[in-house]
Amino acid sequence: MKFFRKITHFLLVIMLASPMSAQARDDWTPVTFELANGMDVVVIPDHRVPVVTHMVWYRVGAVDEAENKSGIAHLFEHVMFKATDDLEDGEFGDTVSRLGGQSNAFTSWDYTAYFQRVASDHLPLMMEMEAERMTDLIIDDDPEGSFITERDVVKEERRQRIENNPSALLSEAALSRFWQGHPYEITIIGRMDEVEALTPQDGLDFYRRYYSPENAILVVAGDVTANEVRELAQIYYEPIQPSGLVNGERLWQPVAPLQETTALEHRDSKVRQPVWYRYYNGTSLVQNRDFALALQVGLDVLGGGATSLLFQSLVEDKNLAIAVGSYGYDFLHDEGPTIIYATPAPGVQLEALEAAVMAEVRHILDEGFNEAHVARVRNSLAANAIYKRDSQYSMARDIGGWVAIDGALQTFLDYPDDVRAVTADQALAAVRTIFADDAHFITARLLPDEEGQ
Amino acid sequence: MALMRTWIGILLSVMIVSACDIASGEDSDALDITIHDGDFFRIQEFTTPGGVSVWLVEEPSIPIVSLRMAWEVGAMSDPEGQEGLGEMVAYMMNEGAGELDSRAFFERMEELNLSFGCQAGAGVTYCSASMLSLTLDEGFDLIGTAFADPRFDDGPVERFLREQSVWLESSRTDPDYLSAVARETALYPDHPVVREVSEDSLSVLTGAMGRSYKDKMLSRDGVMVTVVGDVDAETLARQIDRVLSGLVEVGLDVDIAPVKFGTPVSSPIIVELPLAQSLITFTAPSVAREHPDFLTLQVMNYVFGGGGYNARLNQKLRVEEGLTYGVYSGVYGGQYLRMISGSGQTKNASAGVFIDGIKQQLQAMVDRGVTETELSDVKAYLTGSYALSFDTNAKIAERMMDIRLDGRPPEYFETRNQRIDAVTLEEVNRVAAEYMSPERFTFVVVGQPEGLGGPD
Repeated sequence: MKFFRKITHFLLVIMLASPMSAQARDDWTPVTFELANGMDVVVIPDHRVPVVTHMVWYRVGAVDEAENKSGIAHLFEHVMFKATDDLEDGEFGDTVSRLGGQSNAFTSWDYTAYFQRVASDHLPLMMEMEAERMTDLIIDDDPEGSFITERDVVKEERRQRIENNPSALLSEAALSRFWQGHPYEITIIGRMDEVEALTPQDGLDFYRRYYSPENAILVVAGDVTANEVRELAQIYYEPIQPSGLVNGERLWQPVAPLQETTALEHRDSKVRQPVWYRYYNGTSLVQNRDFALALQVGLDVLGGGATSLLFQSLVEDKNLAIAVGSYGYDFLHDEGPTIIYATPAPGVQLEALEAAVMAEVRHILDEGFNEAHVARVRNSLAANAIYKRDSQYSMARDIGGWVAIDGALQTFLDYPDDVRAVTADQALAAVRTIFADDAHFITARLLPDEEGQ
Repeated sequence: MALMRTWIGILLSVMIVSACDIASGEDSDALDITIHDGDFFRIQEFTTPGGVSVWLVEEPSIPIVSLRMAWEVGAMSDPEGQEGLGEMVAYMMNEGAGELDSRAFFERMEELNLSFGCQAGAGVTYCSASMLSLTLDEGFDLIGTAFADPRFDDGPVERFLREQSVWLESSRTDPDYLSAVARETALYPDHPVVREVSEDSLSVLTGAMGRSYKDKMLSRDGVMVTVVGDVDAETLARQIDRVLSGLVEVGLDVDIAPVKFGTPVSSPIIVELPLAQSLITFTAPSVAREHPDFLTLQVMNYVFGGGGYNARLNQKLRVEEGLTYGVYSGVYGGQYLRMISGSGQTKNASAGVFIDGIKQQLQAMVDRGVTETELSDVKAYLTGSYALSFDTNAKIAERMMDIRLDGRPPEYFETRNQRIDAVTLEEVNRVAAEYMSPERFTFVVVGQPEGLGGPD
């Protein structure tokens, strides 16, 4: 039966061959190579539609900012859309739009990336313009000019993303305490007072030091082949001389484990639903891959969604919580926190909820995990890798981010197999380590104003 | 542009004999498939033997299947006093069915690496699923059980009610929610689209009510299906019929008139909330998607405030003035709510300047319209970027459903760009003058705005 069905299907495809259905199944495997000037290249084929995602990642982020210059990496990302020798202010974005494309950029602690999504035949022009702003950006030092205006835009962005939002303010404070003394301590967008004081000269210094081909990764996903990308990259990127100023030095350093147990809270009249969080020590997929994979599985069994043990106990059985869960920040170069959180059901006090959640965690860690539950979680994590392939942009973003935090392409590709290899014992051991009885943590509480309801 | 081949999708009707049915000795029902071979993808349109209308894009390169189903019955149709009932039905569709309670149902979804869930909007209820093509039979089995025999157990029903009650409380300080309520109250307070759950309505809802209301919401006569992925038409037709066999034949007949806007409010409506920034929205009535002006309005709006970074509003208020992280506007032509609406956030101290800036741009649009260059740039963007909406299976399934809900044929994907190219400068400037006058717009400000003139 199956055989017949395949044949019918095959005939139909031959009869009405379209660009989409004629593609082979297995030609999506990414490849990587390096240009003569040190620029890394990753190509991720996806021939379903004649579209490409073109990204240039720089190995610079908030982690690399000098003292009192927080926010420069992110502000600079905005400035990269301004004039160059050959492009007028805004012309980059206008050109991409006129070609029916979209362009944007994003900044993290570990990297800054710029991307365009366009029809594949516009890839050469994207490379030409991206190469242009790698070398020929003009930093406007007019006190009323575009650098200063963009600084105002970033201040509005900070108000919008963080200051208007009580839970973002609490999270900023908790992360800052977690990473005290580490360059991740200051939030990516920067402190308001420091952003306000950034100057065009700061921008210029930052640009000269970090925006150089040997500090960059080109990622192209979509309807192209590795050879096509190589030829184009040799034309547009390879002639750019490395500045020699970067040397791959980053301010990364091991994150010191928490030395004491502390608590902080944020009260706001806009808060109607209290939330309780605990920040424990965590890990990084780059620093300690085996442990990080085991912890991913363990945290999902413990608190990853509706079938998790914490959800079943606190939301379903005891009706004490509306939500409860656990997750980790592990996609950073240096170690990030493991977080456990809960929001109380109506009428439940936060202290009572906290005690109930932690009692349940203890109970689970004593009892151990069920093998079938662990297997489901492993398979879900591995299957996500297949679903991810549906989006060329997500693939480019995940792989680019992984390479930018010093991950190897092969380890990214090995993820489904590696996560499937995690045993129930390893997963349990990982969460036991993190939530050990003597582990220190930061409690963070989001609360209504005293006068609020 | 290479990907914009100029011909209209060729229509081919192909009869495919289902090899499976012959081999199994059952009735050899032939599936009548109309193929729309377009520039972006090839849509197979067919009606299953069970009478369900399906659009399929076959995409074998990734072993997944994305499925979308929609019914034109939404939260607006909830019985009076039982607001939230439709949302409850949607919520409960993956909370246990047949032998499986909520937990067992979720575990089964995990085992199959399948996601399935439903959501009730104001006028439309959607269900969507993603599954691996390797376990299609098992996946459709599970979803079929959910449609045929959802359990509405007390546990999940009570959880739904608790979540709603928390949402209700939290919304009282949510700027977006407060802004929408202020707009509704000022402009169309009596239309069913503004109905929402209340403590009173939550207190009467029960699982038994949900169970019987499910047969009004989700029926076989009203369902539309779009699918993208690694599955062929005959297999899919068989699976869809199996999955939907548990639904009743005829559901609720919805007859709700579109929203009629009241008189615009001349000075900004202020909702006080302690915020670092004010949220400013502005709204005026528009027309339905099928109205001849709609597409022209969309083209005009892309120049005004819808074209992302470089549209006029954002260019002036963000790029030149540094007043905001972003300000945008959109034209909505849905079945019920047709409006031009935009929003942006700025620090409280510049709220007045910000609103003046928006009004100036509106007036400039009325007085001078758009330029030939702006129009050709925006046409190039709108037509050229259309392909970007189709770069994932899930997006294609969604876009096809949008088109179906608008009552348009599959050829729309091909003719849409031609229609945009045909829009003239005169038409754009006529709709600009007709629809964009600042006096047509009602402004709502949530925050602690300054510089608005009044004592507030």
